[in-house]
Amino acid sequence: MAHKHNMLTVALLAVMAMVVTPVLAQEKTPNDPRLFTPGKLTVSTSEPSYPPWVLDNNPEAGEGFEAALVYALAAELGFKKEDVVWVDVTFDGAIAPGPKAYDFSIQQISVTPDRAKVATFSDVYYQSDKAVIALPASTVASAKSFAELKAAKWGVAVGTTDFDYVTNVLGVADAAVFDDQAGVFQALQGGQIDATVAALPTALYATCCQVPEAKITAILPKDPKDEGLGLLFAYENPIVPWINEGLAALKSKGTIDELAKKYLIADPSIPEITQ
Amino acid sequence: MTRRPGKGRRQIALKDRLAPVLISLVSVVVVFGAIAWFVGSAEQWPRIQNQFFSIDAMLEAAPGVARGFLVSLQIWLISLVCIGIWALVLAIFRAMGGPWFAPLRVFAIVYVDLFRGLPALLLVLLFGFGIPALNLPGLPKEGLFWGGVALILSYSAYATEVYRSGIEAVHEGQGMAAKALGLTQWQTLRYAILPQALRNVVPAMLNLVVALQKDVALLSVLGVRDAVREAQIYTARTFNYSSLVVAAILFLLATIPLARLTDHLARRDRQRRLQGAK
Repeated sequence: MAHKHNMLTVALLAVMAMVVTPVLAQEKTPNDPRLFTPGKLTVSTSEPSYPPWVLDNNPEAGEGFEAALVYALAAELGFKKEDVVWVDVTFDGAIAPGPKAYDFSIQQISVTPDRAKVATFSDVYYQSDKAVIALPASTVASAKSFAELKAAKWGVAVGTTDFDYVTNVLGVADAAVFDDQAGVFQALQGGQIDATVAALPTALYATCCQVPEAKITAILPKDPKDEGLGLLFAYENPIVPWINEGLAALKSKGTIDELAKKYLIADPSIPEITQ
Repeated sequence: MTRRPGKGRRQIALKDRLAPVLISLVSVVVVFGAIAWFVGSAEQWPRIQNQFFSIDAMLEAAPGVARGFLVSLQIWLISLVCIGIWALVLAIFRAMGGPWFAPLRVFAIVYVDLFRGLPALLLVLLFGFGIPALNLPGLPKEGLFWGGVALILSYSAYATEVYRSGIEAVHEGQGMAAKALGLTQWQTLRYAILPQALRNVVPAMLNLVVALQKDVALLSVLGVRDAVREAQIYTARTFNYSSLVVAAILFLLATIPLARLTDHLARRDRQRRLQGAK
């Protein structure tokens, strides 16, 4: 009798395995049914997106730190290059609650404990220094301490951790807050603000090509509350652990460091202000 | 005719009075209850509630948003005074008769065509970023100042037309009568036309006043930290939208009393005018 019972259990298990395994077997493969479009890796970024994160506003080319990172990650997870689909999303669209028409968004979004309460991030893929951008003639250019920096008129873009940096780390209470980085640079050129901070790679591109008359006058220490850049998912998206495995593999292989070296190199001659 | 309500008649009156009130109450409860049930039944509702209507987040965001709201109020009040005066000047230009005043009339017409035809946001951007970038010595550079100027110029165009409609609504006979009394053109305008015209336009003007209060938020593109911008800052920091609800409540607290005031003034004005025709 016991024997027959065992047989039944085995048969039942076999049936269950036949039904369940194909689904389980597909998880963590490009055909994972939990993907937005199984078979494709759907990634969103901002339009326009700027160098050095995405070159030529064309992520499909895979040039620029974030574009190249996505293709490296896709390859690591088993996707073919043509299976990566890009869609546009604004920062506001990416952070809004609700379901998303893509798997994750990549657009230099910083992971912070406050944000992590209501949004789901991947592990951090890059943490950059903050750089001070100012016109060479301004008092900020010769500042040596936070106290001297604080005296200047600051401007930042809304939605950035640059705002938190200026407010919390530098202690500036009245920083002007613009819609986007373009507004900040416009105000800098018009003399409405003296300086702004930005992630070092963004600052390097800005001072070479967007506002060539401005320069990076100093590097600032990292904000301990800003954990670095992460991929942003719809809340509690179940594929996050899988994506994190891919990121971890890229990190241990040194791929992320290589990409950072290729696209995000800093000029070592910029002075640092630490207090 | 005096009314002598009998007993039966009063009962009917009571029922007639109560029935509409009851029907209104029940229908309001049913309609809004159904909407609330429908929204609340959404699977995502608890998350949305947490992200849009979190009391903790509202309290945390309130001081910043309130500070921004004070900035909005200041810009609003100062702009109102400037618009009220500048638009009246333009309307008077427009109302001046006679060939010598033709340049003033043309100026007023072109001004209104130009500034009413351009989006306020465009003007704010042009003035706020454009003029400081010229680096002209002696001119202020603050985005707040130039954005305010843009708003004043834009809204003055609308307000001028409101004034004009008020002036044109004053019966022609008033002007003729003033002329017959030997008043000059200016005196006619000052003592006969404008006092009546201004009273005519109060409700329409208050409409603009409410609209302007919300358009002050446009200045945020120039870095001005008004209520909406402060709310956005909080949202960007925490990805929680409750701060926007706080800003919405503050705006409503300011504009709803204004709307009631508009109604009240309009009603009082109508009653006063009807008294003459009793």
